[in-house]
Amino acid sequence: MNVAEKAPETGTRPARARAPRFTDEHGRRVRGWELVLRYVLLIAVLALTVGPFVWQLSTSFKGPTEDIFSSPPKFLPSHPTLHNYERVSETIPVWDYALNSLKVAAANVVTNCVGSALAGYALARLRYRGRRVAALVFVLAMLVPAEGIIIAQFTTMRELGLNNTLIGVVLPGSIGAMNVLLMRNAFLNLPYEIEEAAYVDGANVWQRFLRIALPSVKGTLAVVAIFAFMGAWDDFLWPLIVLSDPSRFTLTIGLNYLHGTFANDERLVAAGTIIAVAPLIALFACLQRYFFRGVGEGAVKG
Amino acid sequence: MPISRRALAAAVTALVLPLSACGSGGGGGGSTDASGKVEGDITFQTWNLRANFKDYFDGLIGDFEKKYPGTHVKWVDQPAEGYADKISADAAGGTLPDVVNVSPDLVAPLAKAGLAMDLDKAAGKYKGEYLAGAWASHQVPGMSGTYAFPWYLNTGPMFYNKALFKKAGLDPEQPPKTYDQLFTDAVRMARMSGGKVATLANIPTIEDFGRYGASLMNKDGTGFTFNDAKGVELLTKYKELYDAKGLDAQALNATPESAGKEFLTQAVAMNPGSALDLDNFKKQAPSLYKNIGITDQITNTGHVNMYVMGVMVNSRTKHTPAAVAFAHYVTDAEHQMSFAKKVAIFPSTAGSLDDPYFTKEDGTDETRVRIAAAKSLKNAVNYTPVLFSDQMKTALRNEVGKALQGKQSPKAALDNAVTACDRLLKQQG
Amino acid sequence: MATSTVSRTRPSRPARRPERRPAIRIRRQLTTSPWLFAAPGLLITGVFILYPFVSTVFNAFTDRRTLIPGQFVGLANFRELLHDDMFWIGLRNSALYVVGVVPALVLLPLLLALLVQKNIPGITFFRSAFYTPVVASIVVVGLIWVWLLDERGLVNSLLETIGVGKVGFLSDQWLLLLSAMAVTVWKGLGYYMIIYLAALANVPRELHEAAAVDGAGPVRRFFTVTVPAIRSTMVLVAALSSVSAFKVFSEVYLLASPSGGPAGEDTTLVMLVQRTGTGLTGRVGYASAISLVVFAVTVVLMLLVLRADRREDA
Repeated sequence: MNVAEKAPETGTRPARARAPRFTDEHGRRVRGWELVLRYVLLIAVLALTVGPFVWQLSTSFKGPTEDIFSSPPKFLPSHPTLHNYERVSETIPVWDYALNSLKVAAANVVTNCVGSALAGYALARLRYRGRRVAALVFVLAMLVPAEGIIIAQFTTMRELGLNNTLIGVVLPGSIGAMNVLLMRNAFLNLPYEIEEAAYVDGANVWQRFLRIALPSVKGTLAVVAIFAFMGAWDDFLWPLIVLSDPSRFTLTIGLNYLHGTFANDERLVAAGTIIAVAPLIALFACLQRYFFRGVGEGAVKG
Repeated sequence: MPISRRALAAAVTALVLPLSACGSGGGGGGSTDASGKVEGDITFQTWNLRANFKDYFDGLIGDFEKKYPGTHVKWVDQPAEGYADKISADAAGGTLPDVVNVSPDLVAPLAKAGLAMDLDKAAGKYKGEYLAGAWASHQVPGMSGTYAFPWYLNTGPMFYNKALFKKAGLDPEQPPKTYDQLFTDAVRMARMSGGKVATLANIPTIEDFGRYGASLMNKDGTGFTFNDAKGVELLTKYKELYDAKGLDAQALNATPESAGKEFLTQAVAMNPGSALDLDNFKKQAPSLYKNIGITDQITNTGHVNMYVMGVMVNSRTKHTPAAVAFAHYVTDAEHQMSFAKKVAIFPSTAGSLDDPYFTKEDGTDETRVRIAAAKSLKNAVNYTPVLFSDQMKTALRNEVGKALQGKQSPKAALDNAVTACDRLLKQQG
Repeated sequence: MATSTVSRTRPSRPARRPERRPAIRIRRQLTTSPWLFAAPGLLITGVFILYPFVSTVFNAFTDRRTLIPGQFVGLANFRELLHDDMFWIGLRNSALYVVGVVPALVLLPLLLALLVQKNIPGITFFRSAFYTPVVASIVVVGLIWVWLLDERGLVNSLLETIGVGKVGFLSDQWLLLLSAMAVTVWKGLGYYMIIYLAALANVPRELHEAAAVDGAGPVRRFFTVTVPAIRSTMVLVAALSSVSAFKVFSEVYLLASPSGGPAGEDTTLVMLVQRTGTGLTGRVGYASAISLVVFAVTVVLMLLVLRADRREDA
C-alpha cells in the first residue's frame, strides 16, 4: 500500500475533518439506531477496558474499616479517604522515586526520539552497502528474549562502570529496535518528491533530514515518545538489578516495597498501583492528539 | 570462505568468553584477618527493612561510626522481590556490598563461590555470643566454616479461626496439636461446610516434611531423603485432605501472601503466621480478630521450625576489620535486643531470650504470642536444608502438586522430586 | 482527524510512484553519513542487545552457572531438553498461547477499530480510554487482575450475585492459562486497534461506495472490501502478536504464581528460562539453551507468517 498513490484522492478533500459531526468518515449521515448501537457498544467496551482501573481506584479510597471482600461487591467507598495514599508516602519516599523515574523516562524519550529518528532515516532514505544488514540487526534485536540476557547486560554495564547510575538504567533501552523500525516506516511513507526538490536546491543530508523529513513525522515521534516513556516508567527488573543505592531507585522498585511489606493490604497496593499508573494516563491524555496523528501517518503500519 | 569464517568465530569466542567467565571463581580481594584497625568505607545491604525501620538503622550506623572514627557505613536496602536476582547479579559482576543481609540458602552458593568470608577464621572469638544452633545455621554441608553471623530468628504460632471451628462442631478451645488431629479436624471442617471452608491454604513444603519427621538430607549433604516412609505418609494424608476439600482450591499455586489473604477473608480456618500478623488482622479484618485463636506450630518432632536471617561479610571486601566489626555490631546482643523490641522478631544471641521481655506476660495477645514463640525457639530447628535452592523448591512443589491431583502416587512423586533435586544439587555445583 | 493530517503532508499535485532515479543520485553524494546516522542505534543495539545475546549463544553450549564459570559441554544441554518434561510443558503452553491469543488479537482490535473509526461526538475520549490498558505497566495489570479474578474478587462476586457460582479462574490449570490469555488480549486490544485505525484510514472510499452501489451490506463490504484492503496490516498484527505471545512471561507469572500454576502445568518457555537461569543457583548454560529455542521458534514464526502473506499475494 503506497500512500503516494492515493495522494490525489485525499489531497482534493482537505476539509474532511471539519465536516459536520454526525457523519461517518465517508461523509454519509449516520442513522439514528446505528448511532445508539454504536454508543452501547462503545460503553460496553469502555466498561471492560477502564472498569478494572476504576475498581482499583475505588479500592484505594476505601478506609481500613470497610470490608473490601464483600459480596455483592460495593463499587463506591462508603467513607472515601486518602489515608492509604498517606500511608504509601509515609512508607516510601514516593516523590524522590517519582523524580528518578521522571529523569529516566525523560532521558529515554530524548534518546529514543533522536536515536531512532536518525537510524530510521538512514534505513529508509539513504542508500549504502550494508543497509539490509543494518535493518536486520534491528529486526533480530526485537526477537531476542529479554529475560535470557539480563545478567550479561549487567556484566557489560559493570565493565563500563555504569552500574548503580541512572545512565545505566537508561542505556540498554535508549534506542529501541521497535522504535527505529517505526521511524523507518514513517520515513518510507513520505513521498520522495519533496526531498528531491530540496536536493536539487542543494540541501545536504542533514538539512533535508532536519528541515524536511523530520517535521513531517512529528506524529510518529509522539508515538515513539509515548512508547519510550511507558517503557522506562514501567520497567522493574532491569532498574532493580542495575541500581543498588536506594536514593536512586525508581518508582516501580519503590512500589515493590509496598507489595513486600503490605502484601495483604489490598487497599495500599491499590493506592500504589494508582500512583504508578496515573502519571502515564495523564501524559497520554495530553499527548493523545499527536499520538493519533502519528498513527494517521501510518507509523505503526506494515 | 570457510577458513575466514572460522577465524571470525574464533575471534568472537576470544572476545566473548572472558566476559562470560568473569566474576566467578575465587581469587583476589580481602583477607580473613580481621585484627587490623577498624576503618574505611563499607556498604551494608539489608533485605526489605527500610520501609519500616529506617530510623533504627540510621541510629545504629551513627553509633557505629561514632565508636570507630574513620569508618563510614553506607546503607542500602533492597525490596523483597528479586533479592536473589539482585545478589546474583552483584555477585557475578563483582559488586557485592561488604556486609550483606542473607538467609542460609543464599549463603550456600556464595560460600561455594568463595564470596562469603569464613567467620570461624575471621570472627571465631564471637562464636560464644550466639545460640549454638543459630551459629551453625550458616554452615554449608561439604564445606568447613561458618559463613554468616546469625541475626534475627523468627517463628510463629498457628492462627486459627474460632468461629469456623465452632461452626463445624469442633471445640474452638481444643485446636489440633498433632498432624493426626489436624487431618481429622480438617476433614470434618470440609464435610460440615459442604466443602466451602478449607483448613489449610498451603501444600506441604520441605519444612512440613521436616516437622512431620521425615529425614530431609543425608549427613554429608550429597543427597535428599525426604521420600522416606514418613514423607510418603505425609503426602498421602495431604492427598486425602485435598480430595476431601480440606485443602484450599487455590493451594496448588498459592504463595505465602495469597494464603494469608485466604485466612484473612475467612475462607481458610488455619494459617501459620508470626506475631507481626496480629496487628494486620486487627487493622484489616476486625471480625476475624474477634475470633482469632492462637496455638503452637503442629509438629511430630517436638521441634518447631524457625527462620534464620544472617549477616555475611564479602570475602573480597577491602576493609576486612571494619566489615567484620560492623557485621558483629549489627548482630551483637545489645543491638539484636533493641531491634527485637521494634518488631516481632527474636534475637539469636545467647541468653537474650531469657530477657523479661520474652518471659513476662502482660495480658495482651501480642505478648502471649511473643512469649510462646521465644520459648519454642530454644529448641527450634531450621528445617530447610541450606542447600535447598529455589529451583529445588519448585521441583518439589510441582511433584507434590501432581500427587495431590492424582496424576501420580505420593511415593512416585517424592521419588521424582528427590531425583530432580539430587540432579540439581550436582548441576548447581 | 488522522487523515486530514496525512493529506497536509502531501503535495496536492498528482504524485507518481517514487522512482529509483532520485535515490540513485542521492547515493552518489553520500559516503559516510548513512553510517553516522545509524551509528547510535547500531551501537546501543549491538552492545546491549546483540552482544549479550551472542554470549547467551555461547553459554548454551556450556554448563555455566551463576557463580561458577562454564565448561564447554557440546550439545548436552539440548539433549537434556529433549528429556525434560518441563521443557515440553513449556513448549506446549507457549504454543497454545500463540494459538489462543493471535486470532483474538487479529480480529477483535479490527472490530474495535471499525467501532471507533467514525467521527461521532466523544469518539476521541473512547479511543484514548480504550488505549489505557496499554499504558499501564504489566505488573500493575497483573496485580489488578489477580485481585479481580480471585475466589473472592470482583468477577466471582458478580458471578455469584447473578447465580452462576464461583469459578476457579486462578486454581484450575486450563482456566489459569485462559485467564492469562484474556489479560494479554485485554492489554493488547488498544495497541493493535490503533495499528488498524491507521490502516483503515488508507482504505479508499471509492471501493466502499462501489460495493454499496452493488447492494453489498456492511457485513459483505467488510469481507469484500475492508479485509482485502488491510490484509498486509492483518499479517503484521499476526506476526507481532504471535512473536510476543510465544515469548509470554509476565501474565502467566503473575496470575499462575512463579512456579507456574498447579504442579507447574502452566509454565511457559520464558518462565522456564527465568526459573532455571536466575538466582544464585541458576543454571545459566541450560537456561541459555532454552532461550535459543525460544529465539529460533520466534524467527520461524515470523518467517511463516510473512511467507503466508507472500503466497496470498501471488
